[in-house]
Amino acid sequence: MGEALLTVENLSAWYSDEKMVLSDFSFELAEQEVAGLIGLNGAGKTTFLKVLSGLLPTFRSDNIRFCGSPVEFRKQDFKLCRYTVFAEDNSFSYFTFREYLAYVCSAYGRAASDVTELIRGFHFEEYTDTLLKELSTGNRKKAFLITAFALKPRLLLLDEPVNGLDFQSTEYLYRQISGYKEHGTVLFSSHILESITLTSDRVFVLENGKIRQTFERGQINAADIREALHDENDG
Amino acid sequence: MKMTGKAFAKKLFGAGYERLPRTLFANLILFWGLYNAGFRVQVAPSVRNLMISAFTAGVMWQALSSKDNAVEMRHMLMLPFRRPEYVFSYVTVLGAYTLLTKTGLLLAVLLAVSVWKPVEIIGIVVCMIHSVLMAAAVYSLRKYWYAGGLWAAAIAAVILLFGSKPWLPLLLFVNGLFAVLLLWKADGYDFYREGLRTSGHGWLSGRRNKKEAYSWENEKSHRAKRRRPAFLWRYFFRYLSCHKNYLLNTAVMWCVALELPYFLGEIAGLSVIAVGFAILSLNTPICILLSCDRDLEQAVRFLPGQKKAFCIPYCLFLFLCNMAADVIFLCSWQVQNGGVTGLAIAGAAFFALQSAVLSVLLEWFYPVRNWKIESDLWHHPRKYVVPVVMLLLAGAVSVWPALLLVLPVLLTVEIIILLSCFR
Repeated sequence: MGEALLTVENLSAWYSDEKMVLSDFSFELAEQEVAGLIGLNGAGKTTFLKVLSGLLPTFRSDNIRFCGSPVEFRKQDFKLCRYTVFAEDNSFSYFTFREYLAYVCSAYGRAASDVTELIRGFHFEEYTDTLLKELSTGNRKKAFLITAFALKPRLLLLDEPVNGLDFQSTEYLYRQISGYKEHGTVLFSSHILESITLTSDRVFVLENGKIRQTFERGQINAADIREALHDENDG
Repeated sequence: MKMTGKAFAKKLFGAGYERLPRTLFANLILFWGLYNAGFRVQVAPSVRNLMISAFTAGVMWQALSSKDNAVEMRHMLMLPFRRPEYVFSYVTVLGAYTLLTKTGLLLAVLLAVSVWKPVEIIGIVVCMIHSVLMAAAVYSLRKYWYAGGLWAAAIAAVILLFGSKPWLPLLLFVNGLFAVLLLWKADGYDFYREGLRTSGHGWLSGRRNKKEAYSWENEKSHRAKRRRPAFLWRYFFRYLSCHKNYLLNTAVMWCVALELPYFLGEIAGLSVIAVGFAILSLNTPICILLSCDRDLEQAVRFLPGQKKAFCIPYCLFLFLCNMAADVIFLCSWQVQNGGVTGLAIAGAAFFALQSAVLSVLLEWFYPVRNWKIESDLWHHPRKYVVPVVMLLLAGAVSVWPALLLVLPVLLTVEIIILLSCFR
């Protein structure tokens, strides 16, 4: 494992006082790796990604460090280093994809890069100048994924990126995730075992807001992860 | 029927119907407070009945058009259902929501401040129920909108002209029965509107085409012809042009801007011109962009630099909308009363900008959350905070005109502080 990119120690997060969604959640992401989060519904995958995206203020942690320095998820410095693709997103629905991409690039202070290859890979050629609100769920997801891969942030967070995508685009997405190590780190959550086993260097199995088991490269195989998930279900 | 009604009722009133006693208690307090204040006005029964009918029908229409209801409905319609039972349970719950949470408030105010006889209550109740039924019936027949419009106009005319006649409740009762008959024949799908987002992809798309399905947004295609840089201005104008109700509200404000100088000029002349600017800041629907679009709010909070990148163009957009109404108002004032000065023009710019700044600050720091359907949002008291502040400022300016020289300086300081905080 390379240098630590993000370290989170004893993170607890909640939506209401009655129930902790994440508790004593400790976690480390390395530079230029692909990490997968897998777990049953309600395990806390999306909540964790929301915390990292600065959208959930109700959390506490003993220590959060990004590139070795303490970090706040809502601070501009951290925001400029990460981008999140949410499982469902209907934002900026009155922008076309190209307008959205230009807007996001300007927000991140980057020049708009050439996305021709990504557009072709995701079979999105027809929809680049259509308003996002007029796109189907899968095509809207593609718009946000293309933006993410075009932006190349140091930390890319993907929440259920495979949902809604057709077969060809899913295959292309796997290739993009696997190849992202050249630019930075990807952390993605998924219910689909195949997406995790085909792309990840490390897999975190979440259970009741904690990391129950971690699989390192070489240990990652569908049967063992499935067994861990079954145990979780039985437990 | 029981389960369908229960599902909608729980959505609108909360899991334990907790919203219902809370709202009724608030209405009671309002009535009690206003009644004991001893302020009484004479309101003609015809005007009162028309006011209650129009308000109830309008709110019911908004509730029927709600996007959030459409989502709930899609799941309901996927299940097998019996047509009349489904329709009546849906209309009953939405009607109860409209009457108890919205019309109840207006009724509490009207009954507290006007003089009325107990027997007139029967007429009021009939008007309320009749409006709910009629709005639902007309909504289910949207494709015959011209017939629905004529029917509604005829009933409005009857209420206005014969509002105090003893036979009016009976007429409305009979008309209500006709609406029930139409609802009996209506299909559950008549209340469902396939949104643009899923058109062509949704499971109902084969059932009706885009032209048939009435939509809350214009259905014109927005396929851009060529690459253009992304400006939020374009986004805001598209947003405005795609929402008919926002456009209508803006058009109404412009009509008010044309007429207002006549009334204000009659009352007190140029000294109340600021009141006109304050009234024209009432174009509240465009001031709740983040509140009504949760995904957009999530996006602007998650992307970097949005305090400045989003808030400043949004503020300028609101300023432009307010200023457009103010310019119409000033032109109309000049034509009708004359005497518009440079100070009045500066006052218009001040009120338009101050209102825009306050609206954006409220949206950024205190967006309206926890609303059940859009109707809650459109009638949320928070929306009216800025117009009330502007009215107070206008009142102060009318009493002490010299304030108009001080307030722009304060606004400039306010903007400088905000810009430095938003950096």
